[in-house]
Amino acid sequence: MLEIHWGLPVIIYLFLGGLGAGAGVVSASVFLRSHAGDASEGAFDIARWGALIAPIPVIVGVGALVFELGSFAVGDMFRWINLFLTINLSPMSIGSWLLALFVIVSLVYAYTFLGSNSRPGDEHHGLRKKMAWLMVPLGVGVALYTGILLGAMPSRPFWNSPILAMLFLISALSTGVASILLMRCIFGGSSSDAKGVEDSKYLLSSTDMLLISFEVLVVFLFIMYAHLTVGGVEHAIDVVLGGSLTSLFWLGFVVIGLIIPILIELKYVLPRLLKQEHYAMPHAMELAVCMLVIVGGFMLRYVVVIAGQVTGPIGI
Amino acid sequence: MKDPATQVSRRGLMKNLIASDRPKRYAMVIDTRRCIGCQACTVACKSEFSVPLGESRSWVESIEKGNFPDVGRNFLPRLCNQCEKPSCVSVCPTGATYKRDEDGVVAIDEEICIGCKYCMHACPYGMRYLHPNTGSVDKCDFCLHRVEQGVAPACVNTCQGYARIFGDINDPSSAVSKMLETNAVSVLRPAMGTEPMVFYIAADSSDERYAERTGVYVRVETNRRQQKRV
Ligand code: SF4
Ligand code: SF4
Repeated sequence: MLEIHWGLPVIIYLFLGGLGAGAGVVSASVFLRSHAGDASEGAFDIARWGALIAPIPVIVGVGALVFELGSFAVGDMFRWINLFLTINLSPMSIGSWLLALFVIVSLVYAYTFLGSNSRPGDEHHGLRKKMAWLMVPLGVGVALYTGILLGAMPSRPFWNSPILAMLFLISALSTGVASILLMRCIFGGSSSDAKGVEDSKYLLSSTDMLLISFEVLVVFLFIMYAHLTVGGVEHAIDVVLGGSLTSLFWLGFVVIGLIIPILIELKYVLPRLLKQEHYAMPHAMELAVCMLVIVGGFMLRYVVVIAGQVTGPIGI
Repeated sequence: MKDPATQVSRRGLMKNLIASDRPKRYAMVIDTRRCIGCQACTVACKSEFSVPLGESRSWVESIEKGNFPDVGRNFLPRLCNQCEKPSCVSVCPTGATYKRDEDGVVAIDEEICIGCKYCMHACPYGMRYLHPNTGSVDKCDFCLHRVEQGVAPACVNTCQGYARIFGDINDPSSAVSKMLETNAVSVLRPAMGTEPMVFYIAADSSDERYAERTGVYVRVETNRRQQKRV
């Protein structure tokens, strides 16, 4: 067993950063797709919740990250500034700049939604739309780079896969959707427009279902290709195929975070999808699905970050 | 250590990392047949840099193998390979880790390093550690402060069996150039693609997997805090 250099702060950051970026991307794309919120009140509401959520987890995650810095640990509070005195092709350098931009843009974007009477076409409309256009690429960038960051090193065979970034991106979007649903579930209150609420909930749940199905596929490809390789990569993937992280990966992430949520969602989404029936997922189920997806997203980051570090190159 | 010439940081976009037109190209050949595993180099290195307890810049592993009476014991000195394509350099977000244009040594500017530990993951040889006092990452730098004054690195200087040969391979008359010309050499973990500048003669690659494959008893001892080879 090799030593763990990146612990809980990094895991929390990868998870929260992904969730915030995902919520931001979902919010901005729903907003832009619905003609800046004109199309339906429900869409505007989704966009609003996503926008309000997005910056918070990212900022908390970045805050956690600071605690993993060696310079911070010896009491040098501000040496991390060095990150922003240069830019190079290191994924961490590009990622830091992306993160900084994302935090600024997402704060401005959230600001345009702040007032309780914010609605489509109010005085912030122009700014909101501009920020939404920036949110999509920046959010995708932040979610993707976390995977690229880990994937960039042949010395870490578990991480060294081009599909890891894709997995992180999809997981980010799906936890983002879940966080919006969860917030609406808890604080949503009652809306006069019952049809609009149903439509927007259906939109989110079916999107989440689609995302999770892609995630299942990507997980399959990730595991399969690693297992089909010989050498270091195969050796590394063994850690979730019988090794020390097997149950955490399969139960904690695949079953809890993917299989159960997708089965529940299928049960409620399919009737409307196939037979145009009413979409009515009970409140408790909605809460449960969101929690499971979010827990699964955390488990994914946990298992991946640890697995990458307890495995390494084989031979000498 | 504080010689400004060795502390120049390399900020700015990544340069072409392989430059054979460097004025000097330092390399080391380790003749494991001449190593007796006395750990004098390990100790010299520890005291040269006051390396904190539990960490090491250079160490000697031992590989014990065979079944009585056909047994063997080989030694494998380890140090930073000063790679031609150092993966530690390409991941460093601050430019604190850089490959020197003048001699190809991979160095760290401890004032710039923020201790993000990215390079510790990127090095396929586990050569880097976080210095508990500076909060920066540290590793072997071929004793730059000595070499720049024309003195051999501490480990080379102390090696009683002349197992470590150090020098400039741009100079065809140097001992290291001659060793490279006349011997069968290998590098560690060539599949990592980092193109090490530390070469080995008769390095024993036996480990647990070799033992499983051949049925030969093998015990690898790292002789450092990290019991498992990194
Ligand atoms: S051995 Fe490791 S630390 Fe040294 S240059 Fe190569 S990659 Fe960098
Ligand atoms: S720990 Fe220091 S030297 Fe290593 S990648 Fe981070 S900033 Fe660069």
